[in-house]
Amino acid sequence: MSCEPEKVTALVDGALRGGERDRVAAHLAACSGCREQAETERAIHEQLRRLPLPELPPGLDTRLRAQLAERRASPPGRLALFALPAAAVLLLVLWARGLAPLVAWELSHDHAHCYGHVDPPAHVRSADPAVVSGWFSGQGTPMPNLPAQVGEARLFGGRYCYLPDVSAAPHVYYTGARRPLSIFVLPHAARFDDGYRTLSGGRTVVLLRAGRTVVGVVGENAADVDTAVERLRADPGIRRALAEAEALVR
Amino acid sequence: MPHARSLYGTALRLTRNPQDAEDLLQETLLRAYRGFASYRPGTNVRAWLFTILHRVRTDMLRKRGRSPQTTELTDDGPAVNPEHEARLTAGSEDVQRALAGVPEVFRSALVLRDVEEFSYEEIAGILEVPVGTVMSRIHRGRAHLRRLLAGRTP
Repeated sequence: MSCEPEKVTALVDGALRGGERDRVAAHLAACSGCREQAETERAIHEQLRRLPLPELPPGLDTRLRAQLAERRASPPGRLALFALPAAAVLLLVLWARGLAPLVAWELSHDHAHCYGHVDPPAHVRSADPAVVSGWFSGQGTPMPNLPAQVGEARLFGGRYCYLPDVSAAPHVYYTGARRPLSIFVLPHAARFDDGYRTLSGGRTVVLLRAGRTVVGVVGENAADVDTAVERLRADPGIRRALAEAEALVR
Repeated sequence: MPHARSLYGTALRLTRNPQDAEDLLQETLLRAYRGFASYRPGTNVRAWLFTILHRVRTDMLRKRGRSPQTTELTDDGPAVNPEHEARLTAGSEDVQRALAGVPEVFRSALVLRDVEEFSYEEIAGILEVPVGTVMSRIHRGRAHLRRLLAGRTP
């Protein structure tokens, strides 16, 4: 096979499948030029991935609301149905208020997205729960005590996952023999019942509510998900938070 | 609001100008608001928002009589100076500056892949082009960036 530089790019990005992937990988093993290209592209990917996220311009929220109010002055038909202050607020409300199925679907999707990579994208890589929790806490997100192992699945890292309500949630990775598991920590109050359980995209999703925090567990294997839920419920910090949440409801 | 921040980051990297980036973000969020009824459950919300962002950007360029599609489609960028390959370990400011020098048609694909980490299929949906075109644009974008990081002016 002769050099196919664009296919090398696709290989680096994990975008080739089956026979084509094997063919390009085999070529790479025999061609130092293409290997060098792959290494360079991986380095570029890493550098761009690590670029800092710019801050939003100050006052943007106010300007956005003003813009929307202006357009609402003459609402065209259906828009009136959605007469809410701002796009972001609409997404937040639709997403967080009681739409457990949508939340479950989104978490299931994010689980599949991250594990769709040969090497799931991670901001922190460690098998030590203290390291992973500590990293997220250091970024300003309080975390429950994570289990190091759930069923066959072992902790190996995590990253921030962006949610449709424009917030970021810690996504914690567990992996075992073909049984990836995710624990998500949603950093805001959502109005659905504790213990919501569903099947979304063939994956089991359970949502636990702990005070103002929702913990979502997603897995290919229902037994692993249930084990993780049990472990999390047994955690004193989570139990306390759940009790507080219940006290608030009463 | 990290979702908005990541949209803003992409807007800034596309327009290279804070005012245009804010206009782009505002219009995107306003269209998302109006279009939420047309959002199809079962599709990725983040990808949906980025699709709107890119449509708004295309409209912006069209109004100004420019199109990202027409720029340097055949150009693979300047030649590499091997002595400067080491600059690939450049700081993030150098990388940002080099990225800004990549033609927008390639830069948009590069930002979606390397900064936002969308898959080729997702990028094809967002940019509304075939997956093969996505692959080609990312390849050329990285080649451009590599040359710019190697210290040559394009």
